[in-house]
Parts: sequence; C-alpha cells; structure tokens
Amino acid sequence: MNKENTILDDNRHRKKIGRQVQLPVSNAIKIAWQNIRVRLGRSLLVTSGIILAISFLSYILCSDAIAKNIAGKANQHQIEQLQRDGKLTINSEDAKTQTRWMVGLALLVSFVGVLNSMLLSVTERFREIGTMKCLGALDKLVVELFLFESMFQGLVGTSLGIIMGLSLALGEGSLTYGSAMTGLVPVVGIIKRVGICLLAGTLLTVFGALYPAWLAARMEPISAMRLEV
Amino acid sequence: MNDRAKNSDDHLLAANVVRAVDVKKVFKLGGEEVHALRGCTLSIKRGEYISIMGPSGSGKTTFFNMIGGLDKPNYGQVFIDEVDIASLDAFELAWLRCHKIGYIFQTFNLIPVQSALENVMLPMLFSGMPEADAQDKAADLLQKVGLGHRLLNKPTQLSGGQQQRVAVARALANDPAILLADEPTGNLDLKTGEEIIEMLSGLKDDFGVTVITATHDHKMLSVSDRVIYLVDGRIDRIQRREDLRITVGTIEEGH
Repeated sequence: MNKENTILDDNRHRKKIGRQVQLPVSNAIKIAWQNIRVRLGRSLLVTSGIILAISFLSYILCSDAIAKNIAGKANQHQIEQLQRDGKLTINSEDAKTQTRWMVGLALLVSFVGVLNSMLLSVTERFREIGTMKCLGALDKLVVELFLFESMFQGLVGTSLGIIMGLSLALGEGSLTYGSAMTGLVPVVGIIKRVGICLLAGTLLTVFGALYPAWLAARMEPISAMRLEV
Repeated sequence: MNDRAKNSDDHLLAANVVRAVDVKKVFKLGGEEVHALRGCTLSIKRGEYISIMGPSGSGKTTFFNMIGGLDKPNYGQVFIDEVDIASLDAFELAWLRCHKIGYIFQTFNLIPVQSALENVMLPMLFSGMPEADAQDKAADLLQKVGLGHRLLNKPTQLSGGQQQRVAVARALANDPAILLADEPTGNLDLKTGEEIIEMLSGLKDDFGVTVITATHDHKMLSVSDRVIYLVDGRIDRIQRREDLRITVGTIEEGH
C-alpha cells in the first residue's frame, strides 16, 4: 500500500461510495411481465411449444395410470368384457420404450425452443441491458428479468399443457372403457403424474433461460453505446 | 467555524469532479495491439461544460467511456469525485453509475416497453427510492424538460427530440454530479439538436451538473466551457470558451 492509496481510502471513507442495492423482486416481475406483453407473438409461440410437449407428456402418463388402475381394480366380468373387445391391452416393453423416446424428444424440442427464443431476446436487447446497467442495475436483476420472463411462459404453457393432456386422457378413457371407468379414476395417481409434468415444465423453462440470462448479466454497461449487434 | 472549515475542505476536494491521470488504453485487435489512448491527463471542474472532439480512431470514445466509469484504463488512473474507479467493486461501480453519473446516448436508449414516466422512474427505483416518491419526482422532471403532457406515452409514440428529452430527464433522476452525453445530437435534426444543446447548457446552470459530451457537432462548441481535441490517442489541444468564438468564426467563414 503506497501513500496515494491510503489517501484514497481515506477519501473513499469520507465520500461514502455506497453499495448498490437490489431492486425489489416485485419490480423485476413487473418489468418481465411488460417485456412479455410487448413481445406477445413470439412469447405465444414458445408457450405453444411448451403446451404441446407437456400435454403429450401428461396424456401419456395419465392414460397409462387410468389403464393400470382399471386392469387392477375393475371386477373380473368387466375386464373379460374389455379384453374380448380388444380395449384393454397391456403395452409391450417395446411400445413403452418407443413412447418414452417420443416424449423425451418432444421435451427436448421444446427446451431448444425456449433456449433459442431467450437467446434471441438477449441479443436483440443488448442496448437495453447495457442501458439498465448504466442506470445502476445489478447483474442479479438482469438474471431475474430473463428467468421471470421464461417462468411466466413456462407457467402458462405447463398449466395449459397439463389441462389439455389430462382432459384428453380422461376423455379417451371414458370412451374406451365406458362404464368400467366409473369410480375407478386413479385420483392420487393422476395428481402424482401432474406433479411430474409440473416439474418437467419448470425445469424445461428455467434451464432453457439460465444460459441466456447469464450471458445477459455478463454484458458490460458499455454495450449501451454500441450502434449495432 | 468548524463546520465552515469542513465545508470549504469538502469544496476543495470536490472541485475536480473528474480527474484522469496519464490514462493509457491498449486494445488487442486480431493479435495486433492498438493504442487507443497514449497517456491523457485532464481535470474537469464541477459545473463545467466539456466537449470532447476528434476524428474517429482518435480515442475520443475510449477516453469518454473512461471518464464516465464505463471502461477501465490499462495504465493511469481515473478519479470520479476523487475516487479511483479502479478501486471499486461491482456493487460500488453500479452505485456510482446510479447516483453520480447520468448517461445520455446517441440512440436515446429508452426502455421500449416502459412509458416516459416509468423510464425516468427506473434509476430512482434502482437507487432504492420508494415508488410514490419516484413517481412524483419523475413527473416533475418530465415537466421541466417540457414533456409534462406526455407522461404515459411509450417511446415509440414520441419523436426523436422528445425521446431525448425523456432521456435527459432520466439522466437527472438521481441528481448526478456528471451528465455524460455521447453524441446527444447525432440522431436529431438541426433544430431539435439545438434545442437539446440549449437544454443541456441550461441544466448546467440550473442544476450545477458537469456536462461532458463526445461530439462531432460544431453547434456544441458555442456552449462549451472547454473543448478537448483528441488526435491519435493524445490530447492535442484544449480550447477555452474565450478563444472559441474566433475559431468557430473561422470555421464558418471557411465554408
């Protein structure tokens, strides 16, 4: 430490350079919401991707739960009747694997969709992010903005997807099994599977937004001065 | 007595709002070293109106960013309010940008999704001011820049000149010591540009802020207290206001 530094520290103490405080989360949520509303078109596109993937997942899971419940709990007469009509078949291992692959792919495609749209969002908003940093925004706020934006899309997409998939599974079940399904809807099983879908939807959107949000937070305030990408 | 002594002491300390000492900056471009700044020393006093001029490639932008706390030198020091910016961590730098410096950009850079009022409120919210207070002050500032009737308009519903006025109001939000304007008239027509220049010069007198601009705009010269000319990474010459009129005159005669 040389003399100059000591004087400096002294001054610094007197001047009281403060430490920037974090903007309340409610403000971050509000700004993220405004961002979504303005870019509604693209936002809906991403959301519809999530809806499709999650509804596929929840349809597969729930209809499987319904079929298993009926096979296990319906009375002998009903099961024989359904088997005779070819309506109650236990899927082979091969078919199950195939379905798993398809669900996995659907989730992956929707994950890439989220990632892509958030990356696009970050690159087209470089000046906005730089400006916010010039005005005193901390890295954490920038991360929050992008995560919240993605989470809104995820929340809407996942909920709608679950509703769609579940109603499809229930509708198809009642058409196929008819009266055999009365009183045999596996409520607990379905709630469990809905939970799995919620988790999948959340992970999908949060992980899809994590890298873009990190990129945005690392952006220097000086990028506000840049004229083009 | 004690108080007075302290005040004058503070005043002395605060006399130089920006001080750059032998600032050097080297960029690496494709393996080649580019010396953007080759040692610039400059002190800027509180309440001055400074224009930095120079051809592109002169290091003008780099120097401007340096004294605005947006970039750090490789060598030398930059003091803002007598605090070496190299000694600050990310949180302190953000605080400095939020409280001490108001930024005005060539491309206005308003947040497109927010209204004029919300744009001006943003730096105040960042500083931790309660929302209601921020709203009152933002409305007041917009009134002062002549946009009291357009508080709730989005940037896209405003003309270029109006957007820049909102940006000026936003820059003033936290009563900064320095207004940093990067080519503030670059995207404006002649008349609107003149209005903005007039406004900046008026702010200097009304708010006692220090205005620092990087510019090509010769209209800017007549209101500047000093004009710093950068050539090839060095301060080539500094012209004071007194000497300026003559120079501007010759430039105009030459045309």
